[in-house]
Amino acid sequence: MALNIIVLIKQIIDIDQMRTDPGTGIPVTQGIPLKVETLSKNAIEAAVKLKEKYGGKVTGIIFGTEKSNAAMKEAYAMGVDEGFIITGYPGNNPSLTAHVISEKIKSIQGFNVVILGNQSADSYTGVLPGLMAGKLSLPLLGNAVSIEEDSGSIKIRRALEDRDQIVSAPMPCIVSVTQEINQPRLPPVLQIMAAGRKPINTEQASLIDLPAGKVLSNLAPKSERKRLIFEDVEKGSEEVAKIIRGEIK
Amino acid sequence: MKFLVFSDVGKNVSEIATKLRDLGEVHSFTLKSQRDAVMKSGSKKLVLLDGTSFSGNVSEALLKSDLSGYDYVFIASTPLGRDIAGIISAKTGNMIASEAFDFTIDNGKIRTKRFFFGGKTIMEEETGAKIVTVSPGSFEPSESPDSPAEETITLPGSPEKLLEEKDREAGGTNIESAGIIVSVGRGIGSKEAIEKITPLVTATRGELAGSRPVCLDYRWLSEERQVGLSGKKVKPRVYIALGISGQIQHIAGMRGSKIVVAVNKDKDAPIFQECDYGIVGDLFQIVPKLVEKLKK
Repeated sequence: MALNIIVLIKQIIDIDQMRTDPGTGIPVTQGIPLKVETLSKNAIEAAVKLKEKYGGKVTGIIFGTEKSNAAMKEAYAMGVDEGFIITGYPGNNPSLTAHVISEKIKSIQGFNVVILGNQSADSYTGVLPGLMAGKLSLPLLGNAVSIEEDSGSIKIRRALEDRDQIVSAPMPCIVSVTQEINQPRLPPVLQIMAAGRKPINTEQASLIDLPAGKVLSNLAPKSERKRLIFEDVEKGSEEVAKIIRGEIK
Repeated sequence: MKFLVFSDVGKNVSEIATKLRDLGEVHSFTLKSQRDAVMKSGSKKLVLLDGTSFSGNVSEALLKSDLSGYDYVFIASTPLGRDIAGIISAKTGNMIASEAFDFTIDNGKIRTKRFFFGGKTIMEEETGAKIVTVSPGSFEPSESPDSPAEETITLPGSPEKLLEEKDREAGGTNIESAGIIVSVGRGIGSKEAIEKITPLVTATRGELAGSRPVCLDYRWLSEERQVGLSGKKVKPRVYIALGISGQIQHIAGMRGSKIVVAVNKDKDAPIFQECDYGIVGDLFQIVPKLVEKLKK
């Protein structure tokens, strides 16, 4: 059956480009470009693949800022049909994010499945899928490495800590995906150009007052390693073997 | 204080309970299959969940267990655990402090430490959170002589259905408790090359592990052996990194190691900034040398 799919997209700073100050350990986030978070790309790819297979529509939601247009255009180029940017993202507070996005989802009629990444590459909090399932009172199929539709249900494969499973849930439901589920596509230039002309719906988040944590510090950890580097392989092996031998039990 | 601890992996319950039992009364919840791993965790009460488990019905069972009677709910950050923490948070309105690898509780506030910015920083936060997800392997479990009072709860039915299940690698590897780890990266070049590394694993009586690309992208090793921010956090006496460039996500998984040895042919590889002893050169030449010298 054709699927009405919602995909949740996060925009973050490009962490690979982010440096920390070598003296103070303070992260330097200014001037670092924004990008679509890695797992969100996997979620978009999974959503678009489902649409291509079964027909239907993909709606993207970003809880972000005025600067999130570029991320939505990238999502459009990958195959998202309609996009909503909710501005007012105040930073990492999963409970608040879940509140804002679940309110938006409730306004979308007749959706079958909500897809999102299982952990985002900046915070690794990993609790948004559960929060969304709780807020919307929908079944959650977490950590999918494959998704298919099966006579009115969604069926996924997943790897848990010590076991692999195939599980299903009736629609509507929530599916979180892992990075292994797919290789996100690189859209062709024509699609990127078309995406640039497509309208984006932007609305202001109605924030609620939720206590955010107080950040006491956020610094690069100091490395106290000895850093004795040998370029002489023979001498290095000798020294290293001595060290290792002392630790074998 | 009173704590509820849950994990679908018994070992993780014992790790967290060991840390908490000196601070108050611990009631541990886990799946029935995990009973043996939790019996010596020093919990006052052990609740075994019987039946097919999903994030939904486990959350329902925990919510029925009068959560308001506990000061804190600690959940190990496994794939299932994170989902459950989220559902419970949404249903009770209690906030989550997530991915903690260390914490202290003081005057109704909890201070937690976690990695942030993909492992580039450590964030210390103070929150009024009542739910905490704990990174597995963060605490050393120790056995307690006190046996818990046992109770079994049958899990409620659920809209999710289990169609197929397969245990991975029976007996399992446990790199989290290994004393010496020999860890391989993309630099080993192929799955076949692992054979050339095993003599070093044997000689050190160590465990074999790998980086994310080796375990997840190329599948040269199983994912139980993946060290990193998204894999296992390890703290052996010696961590030997072979052909691992030293991406920050990898470093975050092995930062707790006592001694780090790195072998890489690229002398500018970031791993050399995070090691105690480094050898610049071809690992296939160096590994046999190490094995030979260790055998002497």
